[in-house]
Amino acid sequence: MSVQRSGLNGLTHLIGDRLEGRVSNRHLAGFGVGFVGLFFIVPIALLVPESLHLGSATPFESYRRVTNGIYVNAFVRSFLYGALTTVVTLALAYLLSYFLVFSSDRVRLGMTLIVVPLWIAYIVRYFGILLFLSPAGPFADLTGIEPELLFTTPAVIIGLANVYLPFAVLPIYNSLNAIDGALIDASRVLGADKWRTLGKVVFPLSLPGLVAAGLIVFILAAGSFLGPAVLGGPKQTMIANVIAQSFLENFNIQFASALAVVYTVLLVGLLLVFNTVFDLQEVLGNI
Amino acid sequence: MVTVVFGFLLLPVVIVVLTSFTTQSFPAIPQEGVSLTWYAELLADQKLLDALTVSLIVATASAVLSAIVGTIAAVGFVRGEFPYKEQISTAMLLPIIISPVITGIALVRYFSTVGLSSGYPALVLGHTVLSLPYVFLLVRSELLTFDQDLERASRILGADPVTTFRHVTGPIISPAILAGGFIAFVVSFGEFTATQFLISPDTSTVPVVIYTMLRTGLTPTINALSVVLIVVMLLLALSSRQLSSS
Repeated sequence: MSVQRSGLNGLTHLIGDRLEGRVSNRHLAGFGVGFVGLFFIVPIALLVPESLHLGSATPFESYRRVTNGIYVNAFVRSFLYGALTTVVTLALAYLLSYFLVFSSDRVRLGMTLIVVPLWIAYIVRYFGILLFLSPAGPFADLTGIEPELLFTTPAVIIGLANVYLPFAVLPIYNSLNAIDGALIDASRVLGADKWRTLGKVVFPLSLPGLVAAGLIVFILAAGSFLGPAVLGGPKQTMIANVIAQSFLENFNIQFASALAVVYTVLLVGLLLVFNTVFDLQEVLGNI
Repeated sequence: MVTVVFGFLLLPVVIVVLTSFTTQSFPAIPQEGVSLTWYAELLADQKLLDALTVSLIVATASAVLSAIVGTIAAVGFVRGEFPYKEQISTAMLLPIIISPVITGIALVRYFSTVGLSSGYPALVLGHTVLSLPYVFLLVRSELLTFDQDLERASRILGADPVTTFRHVTGPIISPAILAGGFIAFVVSFGEFTATQFLISPDTSTVPVVIYTMLRTGLTPTINALSVVLIVVMLLLALSSRQLSSS
């Protein structure tokens, strides 16, 4: 016997009755993956046929061009800058997280200050760094020192580290915060000094967070477009800039696709190598 | 030392805000008084106002869409049981892993192949995909800490799945859905790299306009526009906190 109900309750009930037994959780998950598949995975996969000169005598023409020195350099630079940014960011993030967990009594305020930049557009933050480093900018105005960093490699690394720092703090903070204080006390009681405790107890226990942070920063930094576009010169072009340029300025969709395919394959290859040391699923679960 | 790192993190934003009030024609720290000249300039520029409108429309639409899709997917993955569940759920995170420049060119090519025009449809769908992982992760972690007996009780008492969601599951996870929606809004509002490929001549977004202005020379109007962007995003952040905690 079904009771007549009116309004929204009636409507949800009607829909619910209709769907009962027909739509399972598996369907819901399928819907989510289907959406990502249709509007993300398929478009990305289609870059592969796009990158081939199908039907011509030289289908791998674009890939041959990728092996040209200047493009190889852009690849090397992307991964190198990604790695450098990761090292700098992890060091700064560890310092901030360690401070918040072990020596600050204003954790909420500190955390808020770290998270606030996440709510501000990348372009604005890169613009701020650009102003800072400008020879005639506010920093030079105030101090009389003209920074000579703009359009150099350090400028790009500074920008990337600044923008991705909050992403690194969150997982490191969580893993440091989860350490049982009794372990630290035990280490101190047994005679280890502060540094030894850090090296032998705290650091190893925080490794999962550090790895997760490093992974996310590396992926984001190596694929960055805005960092080198705003703060770098022609000698700091990373792969994202080369891809954008061949697409937007040279209208060479095939070459842009070939670069995108090679970059993605290299990145996935790196992640798989990484996966042999650390479990990727576990690390991603940390983020 | 820690203060220096905090300064490093926050000063770029502070500088952008401070220098927007300058009286000079270059972004400089106001020394001879504060002016709103550059904000007035902003208000008089129809192109900038149009970009702001586009940004707001696209961000709202993609926030709603990704909150819905992300929640459905998260419920399916947490409550459903099927082989290779963990591995398949990694697919939901792919949009963060692939560089947005690649996402941008892939989407613009694909949309033109299937006959979807650039502009609003492309922007909304593109931004939805890019913000989906954040909503998915948030709602998923909320569902994992959720007492499933409440749902079972509702079902045993005769409620159908949709009613159970509306009266039991939904209200409990709504803070996470809401927070996810706000994050999606902010991701969309600030996105530049993929967006530059998806715009049409009359659907430039604010970050795209700022980027173009940066290329053509620094004037404090860029600062004023950046400050508007910051204010909108921070208001959103604050209200999301307010709503999530109540």
